Amino acid sequence: MKSTLKNMVLVLFSITAVAALLVALVNNITKETIAQTEQRNKDLAKLEVLPAFEGEAELEEKCREIGDFKVNVTTVKANGELVGYAVEAPSITKNGYGDRIYLMVGFVEQDGKTIVSGVKVISQKETPGLGANMLNPGNSLEQSVLGKSPAELTFAVKKDNGSFDALTGSTISSRAYANAVETAYAGYLWAKGELPSEEDAQSGATTTDTTSWATTTECQNETEPEAQKGEVSNE
Amino acid sequence: MVETNISKEVIQGFVDGTISVESITLFAVVIGAIFVNNVVLSQFLGICPFLGVSSKVETSLGMGMAVTFVMALSSIVTWALQNYILVPFDIVYMQTIVFILVIAALVQMVEIVLKKVSPSLYQALGIFLPLITTNCAVLGVAIIAVQKDFDLLTTVVYSVSIAVGFAIALVLFAGIRERLETEDVPEGMRGVPIALITAGLLAMAFMGFANVVPLP
Amino acid sequence: MSKLQLITRGIIKDNPTFVLILGMCPTLGVTSSAINGMGMGVATMAVLIMSNMVISMIKNIVPDKVRIPVFIVVIASFVTIIEMLMKAYVPSLYASLGVFIPLIVVNCIILGRAEAFASKNGIVDSALDGIGIGLGFTLSLTAIGAVREILGAGSIFGYTFAGDVMPLLFILAPGGFLVLGYLMVLFNKLAKR
Repeated sequence: MKSTLKNMVLVLFSITAVAALLVALVNNITKETIAQTEQRNKDLAKLEVLPAFEGEAELEEKCREIGDFKVNVTTVKANGELVGYAVEAPSITKNGYGDRIYLMVGFVEQDGKTIVSGVKVISQKETPGLGANMLNPGNSLEQSVLGKSPAELTFAVKKDNGSFDALTGSTISSRAYANAVETAYAGYLWAKGELPSEEDAQSGATTTDTTSWATTTECQNETEPEAQKGEVSNE
Repeated sequence: MVETNISKEVIQGFVDGTISVESITLFAVVIGAIFVNNVVLSQFLGICPFLGVSSKVETSLGMGMAVTFVMALSSIVTWALQNYILVPFDIVYMQTIVFILVIAALVQMVEIVLKKVSPSLYQALGIFLPLITTNCAVLGVAIIAVQKDFDLLTTVVYSVSIAVGFAIALVLFAGIRERLETEDVPEGMRGVPIALITAGLLAMAFMGFANVVPLP
Repeated sequence: MSKLQLITRGIIKDNPTFVLILGMCPTLGVTSSAINGMGMGVATMAVLIMSNMVISMIKNIVPDKVRIPVFIVVIASFVTIIEMLMKAYVPSLYASLGVFIPLIVVNCIILGRAEAFASKNGIVDSALDGIGIGLGFTLSLTAIGAVREILGAGSIFGYTFAGDVMPLLFILAPGGFLVLGYLMVLFNKLAKR
């Protein structure tokens, strides 16, 4: 077709308008379903990273906003007894190769010791075949933390003298993964009021001051957590 | 006794809700983008022009300059669009469409302006400009820069460095290919196959740059 | 050209990877394992068939000079829409193919076929061309992925047989170039016969 200024502008404009309208329409239709699916996956992940238990789960959420990120700590109880903590955390201070890495990390307490009971990757945009291997069950990163006590870990890859066995060829992704586990552990301690304040961390002092932040930290949850109660159960 | 193995940046995040990410120096951004994560040889973006126009050093230089010019401009525009339109209006899902349109329009505009303002520069770069719309590196880099949450200055420095990396890879590669032309390459390997194998060896050489600087 | 030929042509005579040399970026980027190559191939095929059909439908109302921008807009919207639909209604499929979808936008195969075939042919033929080229792309990517996975990780389709003794180089960037180059030589040799 011959091009004139008039038909060029007209066609380009109308096709772009139709395309944008369609995309917006589909976005509106699917937005809710996608959010629900993501929420359901997170709820399932919460139980997957904790040991199996009998009866109905009671979930209690505690959330901390850090910059644009959220760390979500869920205390899971069954029949009034504590099962463990499922912490959803991004790698707040380190980017992966693609984007931040979001993990769900389970912590259980056995004989007065905290142990990592499970890790599940919630979202990642790493290279397929390299960094994305963190999705594979039993990968070297997961093996570095499963069943370990987080208090005894050094949150860095072996190359940087840490305790994480990096994925082959993916140091950057592995560093971010270690950072996400660190954030999750910090979130777990924070929820229990045991996180040392900044000054303590610097000076190695011995007191814990929880008053300044424990009360002012709820983030707005767009998705209501109430529906989860009683609905999820784990045999 | 509170002994902690958690870094103070993470603790600070929980204490006052802010993050101080280890600041990346512009120097690290430049070296990282040009050598360590070379756009062609390690990120696999812009392979088509890399194989297509790299048979002569001179044309490679021209293409490299044209790409640098467009990438610098498009990074500024896409950065502004992302931060002042897409995010505030909550339409980030339109990102791909908006970016690709902007790049296409920008290339056309650069072509028209260049033709009027500097005919000599247009003569040098003109034939490469239409090719850039379909250069996936331009869109790829715009998206990567936005993903990494760079500020404007870092975004521009990053995009220009990526483009310089592209140009360096292109020119190096063209130099090798000019030599290859006079060599007796086995018949089945002539053309693209030998070019790909050469690129593989060049990529291996660039692997030596890994871990030279902390990456953004 | 018969309808069947339209499909088979994409696999050998007009193989997008080894003959037309289109879509090199995703080809090298995702073929670090056989299953990834296959995933990318299938996702690309889906987008290719649909974009070919739409472009063939609108070809008569698009002025020549804005052809490319219009095609790019159509492709980009398709990819975005498919990504959203998959995320919402087939999340399990999205979990395995999702990472490839955004990469399709920058795949010049789609634009290449829009320009070379769909903008000149009818809807049915364009769809068949999409199937053929898509199949050729899927097979090539799976083959490259398989070779890189065997040489670099000592496994095939995730089944490990050799493990850590294999040189990782083949999974990294240089291996991508090398394997593609040598496979291209092999393909040319076999196709010529």
